[in-house]
Amino acid sequence: MWKTVVRRVVIMIPQLFVLSLLVFILAQFMPGDPYSGAITPETDPARIEELREKAGLNDPWYEQYVRWVGNLVQGELGKSYTFQRSVGDLIGEKATNTLWLSLLSVILLYSIAIPLGILAGRYNNSKLDKSIVLYSFISYAIPTFVLGLLFLYLFGYTLRWFPTVGSVSVGLDPGTLAWYWDKIYHLILPASTFAVLGTTGVIQYLRSEIIDAKSLDYVRTARSKGIPMRKVYSKHIFRNSLLPIAAFLGFTITGLLGGSIIIETIFGYPGMGQLFINAILSRDYSVITALVMLYGFLALLGSLLSDIIMSIVDPRIRIE
Amino acid sequence: MFMQIDNLKVHYPVRGGFFNRVIDHVHAVDGISMEFEKGKAYGLVGESGCGKSTTGKSIIGLEKITSGKIIYEGEDVTNKRRDRKSAYNRDIQMIFQDSHSAMNPRKRVQDILAEPIRNFLSLSPQEERKRINELLAIVGMPEDAKLKYPHEFSGGQKQRLGIARAIATNPKVIIADEPVSALDLSVQAQVLNFMKDIQNEYGLTYLFISHDLGVVKHMCEHISIMYKGRFVETGNTKEIFENPQHIYTKRLLSAIPEVSPIGRIERKRERVNVETHYQKEHNLSFDEKGRVFDLVPVTETHFVAASPTIKEVI
Amino acid sequence: MVSVSNDKNSNIASSPPTGFQVIFREFIKDKLALVSLIGIILVTAYVFIMAYLFINVDEIMRVSLRDKYAAPGEKFLLGADQGGRDIFGQLVIGAKNSLEIAIGVTIITSIFGIIVGLICGYFGGWIDNIIMRIIDFFITIPSLMLIIVFVTIIPKYSQYDLVLIISLFAWPGIARLVRSKALSEGKRDYVNASKTLGTNDFIIIFREIMPNLSSILIVETTLNFAGNIGIETVLSYLGFGLPPSTPSLGTLVSYANNPLILQQYWWCWLPAALFILIMMLAINFVGQAFRRAADARQRLG
Repeated sequence: MWKTVVRRVVIMIPQLFVLSLLVFILAQFMPGDPYSGAITPETDPARIEELREKAGLNDPWYEQYVRWVGNLVQGELGKSYTFQRSVGDLIGEKATNTLWLSLLSVILLYSIAIPLGILAGRYNNSKLDKSIVLYSFISYAIPTFVLGLLFLYLFGYTLRWFPTVGSVSVGLDPGTLAWYWDKIYHLILPASTFAVLGTTGVIQYLRSEIIDAKSLDYVRTARSKGIPMRKVYSKHIFRNSLLPIAAFLGFTITGLLGGSIIIETIFGYPGMGQLFINAILSRDYSVITALVMLYGFLALLGSLLSDIIMSIVDPRIRIE
Repeated sequence: MFMQIDNLKVHYPVRGGFFNRVIDHVHAVDGISMEFEKGKAYGLVGESGCGKSTTGKSIIGLEKITSGKIIYEGEDVTNKRRDRKSAYNRDIQMIFQDSHSAMNPRKRVQDILAEPIRNFLSLSPQEERKRINELLAIVGMPEDAKLKYPHEFSGGQKQRLGIARAIATNPKVIIADEPVSALDLSVQAQVLNFMKDIQNEYGLTYLFISHDLGVVKHMCEHISIMYKGRFVETGNTKEIFENPQHIYTKRLLSAIPEVSPIGRIERKRERVNVETHYQKEHNLSFDEKGRVFDLVPVTETHFVAASPTIKEVI
Repeated sequence: MVSVSNDKNSNIASSPPTGFQVIFREFIKDKLALVSLIGIILVTAYVFIMAYLFINVDEIMRVSLRDKYAAPGEKFLLGADQGGRDIFGQLVIGAKNSLEIAIGVTIITSIFGIIVGLICGYFGGWIDNIIMRIIDFFITIPSLMLIIVFVTIIPKYSQYDLVLIISLFAWPGIARLVRSKALSEGKRDYVNASKTLGTNDFIIIFREIMPNLSSILIVETTLNFAGNIGIETVLSYLGFGLPPSTPSLGTLVSYANNPLILQQYWWCWLPAALFILIMMLAINFVGQAFRRAADARQRLG
């Protein structure tokens, strides 16, 4: 068991190396460097050149790469030139918002998907099952931004049930109950967009798991011993089918990351996704590289998490 | 000597440990030797997982050989096996256990039968068509079967098509890997007799792989009993059945069901006897690692695996 | 001997276990999929014929302030945007551009993914191992983000570059799926039989294994096509897809980024959003019907 976990973690090392190399190469292709912004007609080109030399920008690429990774590990992400702040602080601030959004999304997602998946599996081929399957099918087919916009248009602007922009209303004292409530209120629309889109996998997985389990021998044995079907479900089927759902959490993280760029843009929610789009638009390269690196790292972490949960839940896949 | 297998070994690496390195080997086939004469049928018998299928597959080139030699018509073909278009590959063909999965479900019978013809023989389209009709006639199928797909046939019919395909290029050796064990008992005899007829007619050499001693007795002149990748006993059918030497052979023989109710009690007593004997003598017949000993001769044609120190294991 | 000539008189042509007949039957049974398929064909044909033969792009894209935010039905079928440009015309041109890009990406990624997947799955070994590691990496990392970065750092990109950039991140998924299917298919005995019958590996891969995977490949290609429309439109929506001068479904939807337009001039963005939505649903319905046809257990007909 531990061997599998450790081996899986070890696999992440080359992945991280490749990711950092990829991001570094991309960063090299981005025009300009931290000093291009400082150039004004009055600055002496020689002075800039001197600064560049001092910052090591004229060193061979591998030396720069090693230094860059070194800084990365220490959390030195450079300075954002649009905000004139340390990138680390900037991302940290936005990351909290994205974290809240992700958390609520995951809670909503599972509280929609698990009951629906169980119902569809238990009463398969009923009208209820067919409508759940249709729902999961439609939610799979809709692109994120289309659903987000429709939600915004419908519930935000037309029905005015939810706020349409931002993470919290101005004028509320941070830390008060009203402030927290307002934060959640702002989160509902973007989080439910994400939750609706993410349900497909979980619903379909649970449904087919339960349908398969129904015809398995251990369920038949339990039935033939006279255990009521209700109990067979709660004691045997659900327990076996629900565990692997935990592994979806890792994939959900990857999905949330990609989705955050779109959803935060649509709902004007100040998280990392929006920061990324703004950084791209203002060509704030230090922020871009830091975010790409962070997102890549989190995605790799998510798949690591999935694999580890999977290996705990399902011993058959431990040995690779 | 027509064909000879010399000390054939097929080992699979077992990976494990932290860096997924090769830590051990599975000895699927561990040093077996066989000699084939033209036109005879050789049986290879053993329980599932003993390496008999691997032996067949490595002879025809579907498995890599770890060491050992295959000599065919006086030529070492060990490395030629994997050269698909070689004469060796034309002369040696295979009949698969599951005739259904051994045929591409999306190809018509005529294309299935034409595959070896196109690869090995350069025939004109007319000649090819003629050959396909001939093959169908040989296996007793109507000509309109050509345009059908494999799933439209019964198990016995499919196995006959499999045989037709195997003999399409006039091979000299046919490896039959459990050719009837997937079939109904009623069809088994039919297919077996049919295989025998073909053997007599075309002078084929068979390597007949089976777990069923009864079937092998019916088909083969010579039998090798395999256990854990090695031969425990090899000899003429008569010798194996009438004078089994190795306890594993005895055990297999005692397990053949007899239909007659007469003498049931004695047979049972004998089975129990053989079983206790097997447990008791286990150490004498296998070395300390559980490996089968090397073969020692009993008669000129009959060999048995025995400890080099104790010549008589009986 | 058992004779096979029992059904000689029934004159039904033999067919492979999953062929066009099965797919056809599936569509007859599933009316929704049938309607979707016909709809997709008609709409695509209409869009391409109109865009290439009847609509003048320059005319559509000409700013005419007199028609600013013209409501639907007055002068234009679907109204006009802030530049007084015909929304319907833009929708047709945009749909054509979006479909072209999605088709391009689908073709490139399918060819590349299928070839790599088949070869890796069939041969296995250490090359397969390395390629799979690379593919796993590509699948895990956030591709939308990297595509945006690529688009940003390429100085002057055309729609062909866009197709290539999207393809770069889209092929690994196909390759992984095809590989896993080829891996299990390659272990079937008919492949072994072909080897013993003297057929070479590449013919086995492309003439024996691939036809047997064809139904799965059709399903995947269909669903990928829908996915690729999604990627292109979201990129254009965010402003990193087609250049602003070339209308795409995504750029039309991005009008909604202006709250005023989102709220009051809904005709600027809603038709494109609904077009995407309906197109995606229809393609997915068709894909599901293909999937059922491919899997005997799920068939309706």
